[in-house]
Amino acid sequence: MSWGGERLGSLVGRAWRGSARFRAGVAMSLLILALAAVGPLVAPHPSEGMGQVPPDAAERAGRPPSLEFPMGTDSLGRDVLSRVLMGARLALVQVGTVVALSLAVGLLVGVLAAYYRGLVEAALTYATEVFLALPAIVVALALRLALGQGFHTLVLSLILSWWPWYARASFVYARSVVEMDYVLLARLAGVPDRIILLRHVLRNVVQPVLVQAITDLGSVLLEASAINFLGLGLEPDAPDWGIIAQNGFKYVTSMPWISLFPGLFILLTALGFSLVGDALREGLDPRLRRRWRLWF
Amino acid sequence: MPLSLGYLARRAVWSLAVVVGVAVLSYLVIILSPGDPAAKWAGHPRGPGAARAVELARGELGLDLPIPVQVLNFLRMVLTGDLGLSIAYRQPVYSVLWRNLAATLELLLVAYAIGVPLGSLLGVLAALNRGRRIDGALQAAGTLLANTPTFWLGLAIFASLLPLGFAAYGRVSTGLALSTGFRPITGLYLLDALLQLNFPVFFDALVRLLPPALAVAAYPTGVCLRVGRALMADALLEDYVRAAAAWGVTRRIIVWRYAFRATLPGLVQVSGLAFAYSLVDAMVVEYVFGREGLGRLLYDAVSVSDFRLAVGLLVVVAAFYLVVNTLADAAQALIDPRVRL
Repeated sequence: MSWGGERLGSLVGRAWRGSARFRAGVAMSLLILALAAVGPLVAPHPSEGMGQVPPDAAERAGRPPSLEFPMGTDSLGRDVLSRVLMGARLALVQVGTVVALSLAVGLLVGVLAAYYRGLVEAALTYATEVFLALPAIVVALALRLALGQGFHTLVLSLILSWWPWYARASFVYARSVVEMDYVLLARLAGVPDRIILLRHVLRNVVQPVLVQAITDLGSVLLEASAINFLGLGLEPDAPDWGIIAQNGFKYVTSMPWISLFPGLFILLTALGFSLVGDALREGLDPRLRRRWRLWF
Repeated sequence: MPLSLGYLARRAVWSLAVVVGVAVLSYLVIILSPGDPAAKWAGHPRGPGAARAVELARGELGLDLPIPVQVLNFLRMVLTGDLGLSIAYRQPVYSVLWRNLAATLELLLVAYAIGVPLGSLLGVLAALNRGRRIDGALQAAGTLLANTPTFWLGLAIFASLLPLGFAAYGRVSTGLALSTGFRPITGLYLLDALLQLNFPVFFDALVRLLPPALAVAAYPTGVCLRVGRALMADALLEDYVRAAAAWGVTRRIIVWRYAFRATLPGLVQVSGLAFAYSLVDAMVVEYVFGREGLGRLLYDAVSVSDFRLAVGLLVVVAAFYLVVNTLADAAQALIDPRVRL
């Protein structure tokens, strides 16, 4: 796949050589990916991680971090380390689903609006603007009331508020592609719309939007954990970092470690994705590459 | 002035159309999700009056009418400002919303009054030192600030202030407000206290406002730092800066009057975008600090399935978002002579 005239490998390679922040971001992202892969295997108390209260809850509740419980235990005696480890996979599944589906919807809408113009463009632009005005957290409230608590509510509310950003971005890129001569020539040559859209337009639009999506993985996690923290998303026992932080909210003075560690992991994940995405975007944008100092 | 009334009028019509779209969508959520729409609108009542409440709701929504007529009915309710009584607060939905919107707005405004100048100045500092270690450190700090979960930062501030004997809970001390005869006028307590020359209440409200405002300010600080640094670094490489340097214009004037001036439109634009995003942060932080505000409503609406409040919240937040965007665009037109609206 061609990425703006250069291969993905060379883009990543340049970012790797040129930017310490990119290397740090890759390290953080890989760490979280590794935790998501092996978390359930290495968690010392997997069932507690999934929210089950241990039988000896009373005597284990609220222990500070120690060798036995490196991140302490929560108010119900569950091992916070296990809950945080089980949370890595859940966090990535949440943001992955949201970003992938939002990308699909957004790209489709943006490209169609740019290609067909007229009424289609007007209708899709209007829809984009309407959803753009809806923050995920308020949509989450409405869906929480209509559909109840759970994964579907959380993911749906985030998708509804994220796809318009991709629609808007891909519309801008697609519009400039659609006006290129080769698209006109393909049309005149009788190439079917479907082929033009997929092979000529979409292909050239995907790349910058995809780079933006990497940064957004972090932003989506921040928003998802805020929704979960308010209790509008997943069930109260799910090993989500926002929910674990919520469990510790009431005890924030007596047991600060319950909220401390999941928050650190949210920060680490969001930071990692953000650093990777930003470095790639700087690499793609030649204007941002200039680093020399002439007069100041 | 490169800003026309015609543009503002078109923008207002378009915004109204978007709000109508939001209202229609929220009606469809009530109607199309599983369960009895009338029971939902009535807040899933229980107890002796339940059947009557559901019947009343059925009448309000006109559920026996064709769907387009129902939607029009509902739109009339939304646009005339009559969504009925909030179930959680037993007050008209819109008055609950306005009161809480003012509280959230106050928090956001103070947070942005801290975050945007601070971030921009640090961004200028980074751009002036680009390539040096301090630039790397500032950029890293900016990324860190923009990626910190705000609810967590709020919790951390809240928890670290408590042992210092500093309980910044709520918006203002009720006792103090009562004893000094403080009355809300606009709902922005800082402004209200100043208008009434009530300085004890002003300082009390300010002291309670600053810790949550700092948590909310993290995001705009980080964003303005990063964007300001990029814009400033570009501006410093422009020909006019080089020409000014060649003419011997002092460094201070080149940096602030020439280069920084050129970054302002970009900073305004990005602050406008971030402001809407920060609304979510403000809601969560309000919840953490036990303040009145839209965040509190989210939480209270769930416990009694207050659909009317949820719908009102959707409409008001969408309208808020559109107003902020329009203001940001208008501000950009006013400070950037190249933009004509």
